[in-house]
Amino acid sequence: MLLDVRDIHKAYKDVEVLKGVSLTLERSETKVIMGPSGTGKSTLLRCINRLTAPSSGEVYLDGTLIEERNINEMRQKIAFVFQDFNLFLHLNALDNVAMGPMRLKGLKRAQARERAMQELRRVGMQDHVESYPAQLSGGQQQRVSIARALAMKPEVILFDEPTSALDPELTGEVVSVMQNLASEGVTMLVVSHEIGFARRAADAIVFMEGGYVVEEGPPADIVSAPREVRTREFLQLIAAEGQVS
Amino acid sequence: MEFLAFAREHLPTILAALPVTLGMWVLAIIIGAGLGLLLATGRLYGGRITYALSTTYIEVFRGTPMLVQMFFIYLGLPEIGIVFDPFTAAVIAIGLNSAAYQAEYFRGAVRSIPQGQMAAARAIGMTRMQALRNVLLPQALRRVIPQWSNEAILELKYTSIAYAIGVSEMTSRAEQIGYKTFHFFEVFLLLAIVYVVLTGVVAQILHVIEQKTSIPGVNR
Repeated sequence: MLLDVRDIHKAYKDVEVLKGVSLTLERSETKVIMGPSGTGKSTLLRCINRLTAPSSGEVYLDGTLIEERNINEMRQKIAFVFQDFNLFLHLNALDNVAMGPMRLKGLKRAQARERAMQELRRVGMQDHVESYPAQLSGGQQQRVSIARALAMKPEVILFDEPTSALDPELTGEVVSVMQNLASEGVTMLVVSHEIGFARRAADAIVFMEGGYVVEEGPPADIVSAPREVRTREFLQLIAAEGQVS
Repeated sequence: MEFLAFAREHLPTILAALPVTLGMWVLAIIIGAGLGLLLATGRLYGGRITYALSTTYIEVFRGTPMLVQMFFIYLGLPEIGIVFDPFTAAVIAIGLNSAAYQAEYFRGAVRSIPQGQMAAARAIGMTRMQALRNVLLPQALRRVIPQWSNEAILELKYTSIAYAIGVSEMTSRAEQIGYKTFHFFEVFLLLAIVYVVLTGVVAQILHVIEQKTSIPGVNR
């Protein structure tokens, strides 16, 4: 097991957002976490790489406990893709991707840029390497941010609603990049409502509600025959919103 | 025409002190920027004590007149055995004073950077200091240039206060010329023109820097 999330609780003051969430991810596996908003999905992802410190519970990557002491080292192995991209605003696409390898992996500038170029090609952004974030569309920015994640050669990539800040016509390019990664065997944990992506690329869907994991299973089962009423209701809701592709 | 003749005769005397004025200015700016960055970092990311120390420093130096600070350093400190020559005392006073203001400009600029920038830097495994150096500061320094230009120009003018502790800079030269010729009107007009030209050049240079370093696609 590559990623082992054990009994994560997270409370903000009196409000408990996560009430004991456990989850595992095998190498090369892709899991999609779904559920109503305010359910703690993003908080869970942020607790895994400790962008938010969990109130209790442990996360192990490849058997190593992730804690404050080793966090910077562990984060290099757990990439994170943000909902709103968060590309470094003062750098062009190439240098955004080269930053990590250069500053953290000790690569020389030329080597780092070479690696960045490879990753940008992988997400289809090789023609925009000189562009700055403000000159790119949301979908393009998100693809660059995925390349930035890949350039760290992480063990696993966490995606926090990678398409929900995008205009509908731009989600496709990001989803197809993610599908390719899944089929290449990149290990991914994805918070997303893209059912089409989940169905085609995920090994399992994890359904969360109210701070708990309600149900988990293969996409075909979850989508066509959810056991839990709440899962069914949620799927009907997002289907009604026309998000099913 | 009379003024031009006056200017031609006395401008060289004033400009002879230009290196002193510019020297004070450049050194004070360097001290101010370096210390200002440290103070800003202390207020932004320091523990309680660092925060308190930085804040106190800033409040004290912003809350007292530059002239008082300069007198304190040049005339006050010797009483406890710390002696500076006038030039050094002036550089220190202007530098320390400017640090308090520059710290607040830096801090404001860093705080104006979207939160996600820090999060993204931390998420690839940078320490807070690495994130500050590689991601936040490069953006904050660009944003701070307009305010920083004002500060640089203020400091250039503040160098004239060093006259009060006997630094032979442009203003003191002008005053001497005034007493020698009794053409106070002309000499201070001339001096004012010199300062306007200097500050204009500085403003222009910083404006060019601002444009050269602007991030493509981002409107200020």
